[in-house]
Amino acid sequence: MSEKVKLYDQSKCTGCRGCQLACKQWNQLPAKQTTNRGSYQNPPDLQPNTWMVIHFQELETADGGVKWVFRKDACMHCTDAACVTVCPSGCLHYTKYGTVALDQKKCIGCKECISACPFSVPRYNPETDTVFKCDMCFSRIDNNMEPACVKACPTGALQFGDKDEMIARAHARAKELGGDASVYGDRFVGGTHMIYVLTEKPAALERLPEHPTVPASVIAWKKWLKPLSLIGAGAVIAGSFLHYITVGPKMPDDDETDVTAAKGGK
Amino acid sequence: MKKGLIKATSAYERVVHWGLAISCIILFISGLGMMFHSFNFLGTPVGGLKNLKLIHNYTGIVFAVFLVLSILMWWREAGIFSLPEDWQWMICAGGYLWPVKNPPEVGKYNPGQKLFFLAVALCGLLMVGTGIVMWFPYRFDLPVEFVRWMYPLHALGFFVIFAFFFVHLYLGTVGSPGSAPAMFSGWVTRAWLKKQHPKWLREEEEKGTLIVSGTHENHFSLKLGIIRIELW
Repeated sequence: MSEKVKLYDQSKCTGCRGCQLACKQWNQLPAKQTTNRGSYQNPPDLQPNTWMVIHFQELETADGGVKWVFRKDACMHCTDAACVTVCPSGCLHYTKYGTVALDQKKCIGCKECISACPFSVPRYNPETDTVFKCDMCFSRIDNNMEPACVKACPTGALQFGDKDEMIARAHARAKELGGDASVYGDRFVGGTHMIYVLTEKPAALERLPEHPTVPASVIAWKKWLKPLSLIGAGAVIAGSFLHYITVGPKMPDDDETDVTAAKGGK
Repeated sequence: MKKGLIKATSAYERVVHWGLAISCIILFISGLGMMFHSFNFLGTPVGGLKNLKLIHNYTGIVFAVFLVLSILMWWREAGIFSLPEDWQWMICAGGYLWPVKNPPEVGKYNPGQKLFFLAVALCGLLMVGTGIVMWFPYRFDLPVEFVRWMYPLHALGFFVIFAFFFVHLYLGTVGSPGSAPAMFSGWVTRAWLKKQHPKWLREEEEKGTLIVSGTHENHFSLKLGIIRIELW
């Protein structure tokens, strides 16, 4: 099965949020009332019941003007996903499409994925004691349909297809756009399965890490300490046993007032 | 009760010891079930991994309470090294690990036990601290970089505590026969004390505070603000 990629072209996005609505509709995530914060962006951030959100950002241009830029914020579906590495229950897992899905029944609400994610995507719902995020509409893509957000996009800003083809398309589009346009996603964390064509430099965009990596703490914890603790525990157990059968215990000197003690029992 | 046995620990000491030990073992098992996918099955008997998480979290509170009681109870006797004799003991591991002719005499706690106490006290506090952050990572408005490092530190604490725990288990039972009763009945033999803690035996005898079975009838004492009523 070939890996799939969702391509988001910032230059074609009009911020209509049809994708956001389609996501809520397909995944049955009713919205909650929010308050006006002086931005068209709504809700203000990803939530347990909002797995993708269009970020609205007012960007100052060099000539003193203001540019309105949009960015689809959702799970990036890393190839080397820190959330999958830390998940203790196997709830978060890679699918055959290279995307990262959740088995909601397995989530134990440990919240380990939340701090591990370099894009701060997973959201915890205290009511269900579980974590939620975009699963790239696994129920759809596994039935040869594109994700709901892609289906709903009226401008062609969202596309879905085979990984190689999408990446090639992204680079061609960035080249075509020229200027500050670039491809974001294929060169870190093993390559993401959501790829951006950005019209702005990544550093200029809010809440977007310029160089996302699997956190060093996750590597220290899962790649080094985990095997080390197993080896260490095995070594002391084996060492104690070997000591017992070779050197033997340290015995009290025999004392005629108490012989049972030397035999080691209560 | 056999005559001539010597009282090595009070009931309070034993209760605190076992409170800490049992909570620690529950934490080992439940933590292991979450640390390795291959140990996920440890959650099955309690109805799933989520329950294992809850057991781990709440047992952590019990552990924290006994840890504080342990530190308050033992830091004077087991938390301070007396040099150079403790160092000399360390070099030969007190004769526990390989035959040593005349290891330095030790008091109530030998330097190995002191090291174990310090490791559990310090790593235990680390486990409680990191554990609270892991339980409530977003309650305290902590930077994500800080929260992230709690997990490897928690794993490091497990590594250290488990290694010491198992050596302690071995040397408290089959590796040093006669030791275990000190933490069950509290009564040990004179021969064992003479071999393992001769200085303590001598000092207690000199002070006349040694409690020997068959020599006292009803004993009533006050220690550390805890009323111990011991009848035998």
